[in-house]
Amino acid sequence: MRRAALWLVPGGAVLWALAGADIEAARIIGAGARLADFLGRMVPPDLSVWRDMMTGLAETLRIAVLGTLFAVVLSAGLGALASETLAPAAVWRPVRAVLAVIRAIPLILVAMLMVGAVGLGPLPGILAVTFHATGMLAKFYAEAIDNVSAAPVAALESAGATRAQRLRFGVWPQMAPVVLRDTVFRFELNLRESLILGIVGAGGIGLHVQTYVRSFQYEKAATVTLAIIALVLVSEAVNTALQRRFS
Amino acid sequence: MSAAAFTLSRVSHRFDDATVAATALCDVTLSVAPGEVVALIGPSGAGKSTLLALLDGRLRDWRGRARVLGAPLSPDAPPARAHRADVGFVFQDFALIDRQSVYQNVMNGRLGRTPAWRSLWGRFGERDHMAVAAALHDTGLADLAARRADQLSGGQRQRVAIARCLAQEPRLILADEPISNLDPAHAAKLLALITGEARKRGIAVMFSSHQPELAQRFADRVVGLGDGEILFDRPAGRLSDDDIARLYYGRARGGAGLRVVGQ
Repeated sequence: MRRAALWLVPGGAVLWALAGADIEAARIIGAGARLADFLGRMVPPDLSVWRDMMTGLAETLRIAVLGTLFAVVLSAGLGALASETLAPAAVWRPVRAVLAVIRAIPLILVAMLMVGAVGLGPLPGILAVTFHATGMLAKFYAEAIDNVSAAPVAALESAGATRAQRLRFGVWPQMAPVVLRDTVFRFELNLRESLILGIVGAGGIGLHVQTYVRSFQYEKAATVTLAIIALVLVSEAVNTALQRRFS
Repeated sequence: MSAAAFTLSRVSHRFDDATVAATALCDVTLSVAPGEVVALIGPSGAGKSTLLALLDGRLRDWRGRARVLGAPLSPDAPPARAHRADVGFVFQDFALIDRQSVYQNVMNGRLGRTPAWRSLWGRFGERDHMAVAAALHDTGLADLAARRADQLSGGQRQRVAIARCLAQEPRLILADEPISNLDPAHAAKLLALITGEARKRGIAVMFSSHQPELAQRFADRVVGLGDGEILFDRPAGRLSDDDIARLYYGRARGGAGLRVVGQ
């Protein structure tokens, strides 16, 4: 019975999806030529836009940097409140529930709300990234706090360490690698996700991509796309290199 | 003789506190003089760790009276900082910070001795560095000082735990099975080190062990603990095989099984 359900549920889901997806073979066959035409018009990339492009990328980077910074500050406090070891159940349970709800709201939706609230530009982007990233980072920080093992900290107390010394030499060394790793990971996500914020008017390079594609300036869109790919690859390489150090 | 290193009179503890894995103690009365080396032996679950934690000021909710290094212990609160610094403890599970170096782990033993505000910036005095260097040398860890604690073997970690206690320059050493992870040669060497250090500086030591031969060889006195009660307390030279048999098997050698001690 349960084995049958194991096959019937995913099988049914696939059939249901196929039935309503409006997949026409003709459209797929014709796509190749149109895609080639599209890509053809992107070559050669128009490098004259580099100045605008750098301004847009710088703005995206700024959104990611400040959004991460503010999320770190908020998460330090909320992380402590969401920790089972530091906070009573009456506090950490509701705080964790709120964080889960925050995580469930897509960044682009938050950005649209923020644009409505504070107007266009990088500010709504920064606020949206801060809000969205805090949902994840505060949860990670709480877990880092809860994973600190108590025995070594008790040993320091036994040796005469003050409360501040126990935090500095017992708790922080156990938490720090996890906190740094999670923060760098979140920064990379923030950078990737804020690339598209410009589409809803929340600042950054996304605005340029949208403008060039909508106005059929594919050579310019190509330049920006290549720059974005380069930025993401670099940030991923830096992230990977740093992750290895925080073990 | 000056005041005792510690005295316990009619100390009892029940383990209804589910958060601490502590065994019961029942009317324990015991006095240890400065410079005296005492071995605490008995089967698992006899209360050895509980008794040592109590003397270290980490056990709550016990009854009776206890004085350690001249100061009364409270069952409600940990002792003052200076007192905690004077009592060194070697933990059974080592209680090291895995990601820190051996050097920093041993330096952690100095936290109660050094000005707190300066140490927070990672700055320790010359005296602290000298104490750490001496402890590392004595425990044979000098070559491993830069190694991370989680890259050591079990025996090496145990030596770090001992070095941290020695660097603390305590006036009383409590050690919870300090040699359980060491081979016989290292075990004898480190017990000789701890007890020699204690005799040289006239400080008291109480260590628990599962090895009665080593206990007799290195201690002045052997205390047998079974089911939270002191079953015997003798000079090391006068410990008999019957004492050991009664402690671990609940009966005298050759006698009928009359009483079960321990679990």
